[in-house]
This record gives sequence, structure tokens and C-alpha cells, in this order.
Amino acid sequence: MPKDRGERRGSSSKGEGRGFRRRGLGRRKVCRFCADKTMQIDYKDTRALGGFLSERGKIMPSRITGNCARHQRRLTVAIKRARTVALLPYCTSYP
Amino acid sequence: MADRRYETLVLIHPEQGEQGAKELTNRIRSLIEDQKGSIGQIQEWGLRDLAFLVAKQRRAFYVLFEYRATPAALAEVERNLRLTDPVLRFVSVRQAENAPPTPDRTVRRPEPEETTDASLDTGDAGDMESLGEEI
Repeated sequence: MPKDRGERRGSSSKGEGRGFRRRGLGRRKVCRFCADKTMQIDYKDTRALGGFLSERGKIMPSRITGNCARHQRRLTVAIKRARTVALLPYCTSYP
Repeated sequence: MADRRYETLVLIHPEQGEQGAKELTNRIRSLIEDQKGSIGQIQEWGLRDLAFLVAKQRRAFYVLFEYRATPAALAEVERNLRLTDPVLRFVSVRQAENAPPTPDRTVRRPEPEETTDASLDTGDAGDMESLGEEI
């Protein structure tokens, strides 16, 4: 019996291992900065950067915003710069 | 040594006042020039609210310097800024050679929209009042 179980487990994992499936059927998000080349990431532009912060002031993951890796990297650097000069918060507390 | 394009955003203690902030701005300008840097532009954003308390202050004067200098000069300028007590914080960034200069008051861009919203609000309020008078 234990031998039989082992075989079954092996076969199932083989089936799952094939390819990575995207969860849910959402519209594929496009990086906003790639779509609009004129958009610049600037640490001084709090208006634009604020849109990539959560309610709590945390940086939104690219998984949610749909940014590409390159622009997400630049965005995080810009947000962190803005934080050092108190243009953006590190953390926002709930009232 | 080749010089590079930098920008430095400086936060000045609000107790300095409008006048003190101006003087300090001039001092930083001469500091950069003493290091053989050439100033591109200086933007004074004035007293702005901070996102969080810095040195127990809610506000600070923001001044943006755009200039060309050598890396050694930047290090010297930063060292001096660190020694200057009224400077709460600063951040220096190297700019791309072909980047356009920062347009005036990038950060204050939201203001016009807010005023239009406010004017709309007052317009509504005015209508309400006039209705009240009719009744």
C-alpha cells in the first residue's frame, strides 16, 4: 500500500509541474510607463508617485499595478528618495 | 575631472523664516560656486508641509539646486550641508545629461485642479443659497 501511494504522488506532481498558470482571468495589465513614453519617474513628483502607494503608504507591488520590472525598480528608488526628504510618508496611520 | 549634472533638494528649518531661508540659499549657492560648480537654476518651493515630523517640525522650506560640478565638489558640498544645523535633510541626485531642467513647481502642480474643484463647490453652494432665499 505505501508503495502504491508513493507512485500516485509522483504522477500528480508531474502533472502540476507542467507550465505556470496565471491565476484568474484578468485583463493583462500593461506597464503605464512603457505605454506612455513621455511619463517620467521623478522623485519630486509626489502626485504621480502617490498613486503607487497603498492606503498605508506602502509601495504597491507590480503584481497589482502591472508595472514592468524595469519601471518598478525605478519607481521604488524614486519613492524612497521622496521619503528621505519627507515628500512622501514611510507609513500612514489610521485615525 | 569631468563635471556632472546634479540636483540637490534641501530642507531648511522653518524657524529660519523666509529671510533666513533666503540667506541660507545664498550661502549654499556660494558653497557650490566655491567648489567651481556652475548653477543651472535654483527653485524655492517655500514652506511646505512635511509627510511626517522631521526634527519635531511639521513644515520646512524646500529649495532645489540644479548645477554642474565634479564628484569631489559634490562630496564637499554634502559635507558642508551635513554641518549646517538649519538644514534638516537633503538629497542629491545625478541627472542625465539630456534631461530637461525641472519645470517650475513640479510638486505644486495639483494646486490648479484643487482650485477648480473649490470653485465648483462654491458655485453649488451659491445655488443652494439662492434657492433658500427663494423659498
